[in-house]
Amino acid sequence: MAVPMELSCWGGDWGLPSLHPESLTVMAYAKFSGAPLTVNTINNSWRPPKGTKYNADYELSAKQGADTLAYIALLEEKLLPALLHTFWVEAENYCSVTKPWFASRIAFPLSLYLPGKMSREALNRILLTRGGPPHYSVTEVEAQIYRDAKECLNLLSKRLGTSQFFFGDTPTTLDAFVFGFLAPIYKVCFPRVQLQEHLKQLPNLCRFCDDILTCYFRLTVSGCSPSGQDTADANLQKLTQLVNKESNLIEKMDDNLRKSPQHPPRKLTTLKLAAGGEAGSPLNRLSP
Amino acid sequence: IHLLSTAAEPWPENASLYQQLKEEQILLSDNASSLAVQAFLQMCNLPIRVVCRANAEYMSPSGKLPFIHVGNQVVSELGPIVQFVKAKGHSLSDGLDEVQKAEMKAYMELVNNMLLTAELYLQWCDDVTVEEITHPRYGSPYPWPLNRILSYQKQWEVRRKMKAIGWAGKTLEQVLEDVDQCCQALSQRLGTQPYFFNKQPTELDALVFGHLFTILTTQLTTDELSEKVKNYSNLTAFCRRIEQQYFEGHDKDSSATVAARSAKRSLLR
Repeated sequence: MAVPMELSCWGGDWGLPSLHPESLTVMAYAKFSGAPLTVNTINNSWRPPKGTKYNADYELSAKQGADTLAYIALLEEKLLPALLHTFWVEAENYCSVTKPWFASRIAFPLSLYLPGKMSREALNRILLTRGGPPHYSVTEVEAQIYRDAKECLNLLSKRLGTSQFFFGDTPTTLDAFVFGFLAPIYKVCFPRVQLQEHLKQLPNLCRFCDDILTCYFRLTVSGCSPSGQDTADANLQKLTQLVNKESNLIEKMDDNLRKSPQHPPRKLTTLKLAAGGEAGSPLNRLSP
Repeated sequence: IHLLSTAAEPWPENASLYQQLKEEQILLSDNASSLAVQAFLQMCNLPIRVVCRANAEYMSPSGKLPFIHVGNQVVSELGPIVQFVKAKGHSLSDGLDEVQKAEMKAYMELVNNMLLTAELYLQWCDDVTVEEITHPRYGSPYPWPLNRILSYQKQWEVRRKMKAIGWAGKTLEQVLEDVDQCCQALSQRLGTQPYFFNKQPTELDALVFGHLFTILTTQLTTDELSEKVKNYSNLTAFCRRIEQQYFEGHDKDSSATVAARSAKRSLLR
């Protein structure tokens, strides 16, 4: 049966179990399908499941499976650049929120280096995939990616309509992905928030995020019957591999860390039961 | 693009589409993109002349191919071209509702995300293909050493991009798996319908046709890529249908018929 998997990811804040889109996607998927998943903060080592092969057997109809793939491509292509930009490239956001937040969760001296590296990688990715003529300056690229992201949000909103989830009444892989991307935009409080403001004008998407947070992340009982547990596990393993890609660097640094004195291990931050999960006072939590 | 002014002028007779040289130079991915635009314009019933130039890539306003020259406007890549054509009053997707339009856009991203990237990977990151096909073709109009320099420069550029999006670490097998997954999704979405949105073709059909037809009819070092597509009979039937309807019996110089004739492999076998 299912081997409980461990997920090593960034912790959470602002009412979210994690700030990292792919980590959120994995956690949401795990909740939806009832697969056991232990969530650790990044200090612990991560053991990848061996010999996994992606299983394309979705629990949905063939057409819905195809739609899932297409919408995920849309999210990665149109929404991800702006998400990366909001978190890692936009100077005010990065300096006042992202960098201190991530730095406070990494042991010294990595905290000096890693956020900067992630920021550079984000900018690199944006410029390489979306830069180039006819956009000759970074500001033009930025304008374009935000336009694309807003259009993507509009498309998602239209697709969701009035249903509770993207394919009816039970959540699926696509819901996990959309949640993973939308929740950080929705909940994290940045000084520069054009994407969040746009999202707030789409009430069905906000309701979608809130629903998942209340149903699946406040209670430990999952609401979905895991039909095809093996399928769900295989998909989950694939998703955890996606997160692993991001955590690769951290894994390598783990060895160095073990040799040097560490901060006391942080508690799991999965369940923030503060009412509404709103920002409260982020500055209090961001102690360097 | 100033949309208000473009709407005023009708589609001229001498509209041209620019791409690289067909026989010696053009690569898989550019051929696919060019064919997609040609298919789209044929579906809109807009006449277009294909012009082959060795330096087409440098003439393009965005550096990407193909681009069209209409009146005094130059527009490149399928997305902007679709919008440009829409401003002139022609559209294939007006009949779709909002949800269908969202779906169409999502599937177009899927094709770009997976098929196009896989084509780029194959022709610039797979060493065998690079040596035997890409390097000789890409710089072929230019004398040595310029041909090698341009070719290496482009390869470096593409590999940087692959690294940024996480494809550099993939093996060829993984890339082919992705292509298979994409084809499976497209096949499932198409089902038994003639086009993706049933009776009428849209820009999505043009895009899918451009890529699949090119993959099926281009001779590479290995057949694995085209085999992936051939596994799905409704996709090959789809390509043949569009080829017959929009490219045969038309202008003899149209790229698809010439490609079909001169390619070592044809769909009609």
